[in-house]
Amino acid sequence: MPFPSKTISLIALSIGTVLGSTPAVAQVPPGRMLASQCAQCHGTNGQGPGFEELAGKSANDLYGDLREMKLRPVEGIMDRQARGYTDQQLRLIADYLSTVTPSGNAD
Amino acid sequence: MSNFNRRQFLQAAGAATACAALPRAASANTYGRVVVVGGGFGGATVAKYLRLWGGDVQVTLVEPNPTHIACILSNLVLTSALSMSRITLGYSALQTNHGVSLMQGRAIAIDPPGKRLTVQTPTGQESLDYDHLVLAPGIDFAPAPGLWDPNLTPHAWQAGEQTTRLKNQIAAMRNGDRFVMTVPKSPYRCPPGPYERACVVADYLKAKRRTGAKVIVLDANPSIQAEPEAFGRAFSDTHRGVIQYFPNAQVQSIDSASRSIVTSAGTINNATVLNYIPNQKAGAIAALLGVNSTGFVPVNPLTYATAISTIHVIGDSCAVPASDGKAVPKSGHMANSEAKVCADAILRALNGEAADQNIATSSACYSPITARTASWLSANFIYGDIYDANGKVKGKGMHRLDIGEAPGQRVNNDSYQEMFTWADSLFADSFV
Ligand SMILES: Cc1cc2nc3c(=O)[nH]c(=O)nc-3n(C[C@H](O)[C@H](O)[C@H](O)COP(=O)(O)OP(=O)(O)OC[C@H]3O[C@@H](n4cnc5c(N)ncnc54)[C@H](O)[C@@H]3O)c2cc1C
Ligand code: HEC
Repeated sequence: MPFPSKTISLIALSIGTVLGSTPAVAQVPPGRMLASQCAQCHGTNGQGPGFEELAGKSANDLYGDLREMKLRPVEGIMDRQARGYTDQQLRLIADYLSTVTPSGNAD
Repeated sequence: MSNFNRRQFLQAAGAATACAALPRAASANTYGRVVVVGGGFGGATVAKYLRLWGGDVQVTLVEPNPTHIACILSNLVLTSALSMSRITLGYSALQTNHGVSLMQGRAIAIDPPGKRLTVQTPTGQESLDYDHLVLAPGIDFAPAPGLWDPNLTPHAWQAGEQTTRLKNQIAAMRNGDRFVMTVPKSPYRCPPGPYERACVVADYLKAKRRTGAKVIVLDANPSIQAEPEAFGRAFSDTHRGVIQYFPNAQVQSIDSASRSIVTSAGTINNATVLNYIPNQKAGAIAALLGVNSTGFVPVNPLTYATAISTIHVIGDSCAVPASDGKAVPKSGHMANSEAKVCADAILRALNGEAADQNIATSSACYSPITARTASWLSANFIYGDIYDANGKVKGKGMHRLDIGEAPGQRVNNDSYQEMFTWADSLFADSFV
């Protein structure tokens, strides 16, 4: 699709109501940025497309799976990726992903 | 890209008094404007996530091309296993799904005190005011020694028309012909990429029964730079007799007309195909911010800010402080990863908050070895102390916590199939 040569924006239309409001970052959930590092393989917010959907899974199950993959001998790439985070970070990631609404597209 | 305005930039950066003279929009309108230069993996991702996380932040993405042709999977376009459309990514979803404004054009000058970017568009020059500017222009090539014409001897290290040229040259190879390629000096974009290319070209020549055809790899580095086990096996076993690998082959001169190349490890005249992949440096617009000895722009690992706190550089153009011998690789996956750290830091800065220090970045590459099998490489970094070669702390940066390639038995068809799941996920997370 061709680029518009002038800047156009969907948000430009609502600019009047936007002034003075604060950005959404004010209440950033602690694990959000860390969990976004899983999205290259599990989709934005863990909602796919990609490998297993992560959104909305139980935090304890996710944390348990991640710890298991981190500690077992390396087979697949996920066993390596799990080694890239501290346990405290894996806990934050699991907690965050458990709060995301599933995509509804799970197999 | 020789027409960026270095003089104007330097004047603006040097003269604090120029600041007052520049027109500035009323402060009520200046809140939360981010301009992103370059719509590759870094730029597309930072634009998307700024909008996804940033609520009301205005984001404009500046990119000269109507679509992005990914380098990822492009070696499979060289062998006709995939079509070009498979790696062609559009920008419209960033606009319709996320409200990113698009401007077709090339950024040519920056006025840091005035916080203003000049863009050359198809219809003339435009300026964009910003609160934060993110530069993600990818790589430029270092000057080639000798007479290099990329139309005759393509690099195909930026995908698109170059990929098609090299593909056509490979398709025209016959029995006994020689495909000669160079591996640039590290650091360069995609450490496993050149070795992967050697493998898929060798596999293609075998499948086409080009008897006696050879793939000659001239590596400027002392050894294979990524996945040494997988590529070592591929060179000495899977593609034995086809791939010939020469380390420490620094290019001294090249002549595209005769497809000849002189290196510190030897000379080759009249190659059938000469795939010269030059040494690399930061994209020109980012290099304006100042480069290190390897040609890339040093950044703060928490914010990707340069020496100027409102100008950020992400992706292949930046140099992240890291432990000695454990550099952060230049990959599309990593550019996407850095973009998220940068987006979060910018949103916090706009909100008057300090950057998050509990951060991690990662990279993954899947590398086809044949038309059915692939290997992979995974690397993970966390923020904290970084170390010199003697294990002494030398500062703060992104320390590599883990790295590894696929275990031998996993260099198989499962990994080849996984490669497409990963690529589609990465493409969508960056562009959709
Ligand atoms: C053969 C090959 C295989 C690869 N395989 C993998 C892989 O398996 N996994 C992986 O993760 N990575 C892979 N990569 C690496 C990956 O392609 C790059 O690391 C990635 O594209 C870097 O992203 P970037 O945003 O920094 O730059 P790019 O993606 O190159 O994007 C830069 C963009 O900026 C634009 N631009 C430049 N200058 C300006 C300007 N002045 N104004 C406006 N726009 C500008 C360009 O047009 C371009 O669209 C591979 C690379 C190659 C060559
Ligand atoms: C490089 C790609 C990649 C990245 C990045 C990645 N994953 Fe995975 N993940 C995979 C693959 C591949 C599988 C499938 C593993 C298998 O079936 O053996 C998987 C599986 C999983 C599973 C399911 C495990 C099971 O036993 O069912 C979980 C949970 C998971 N990943 C969580 C994460 C989290 C959390 C992150 C970010 C910290 C992450 N992944 C990052 C590739 C990745």
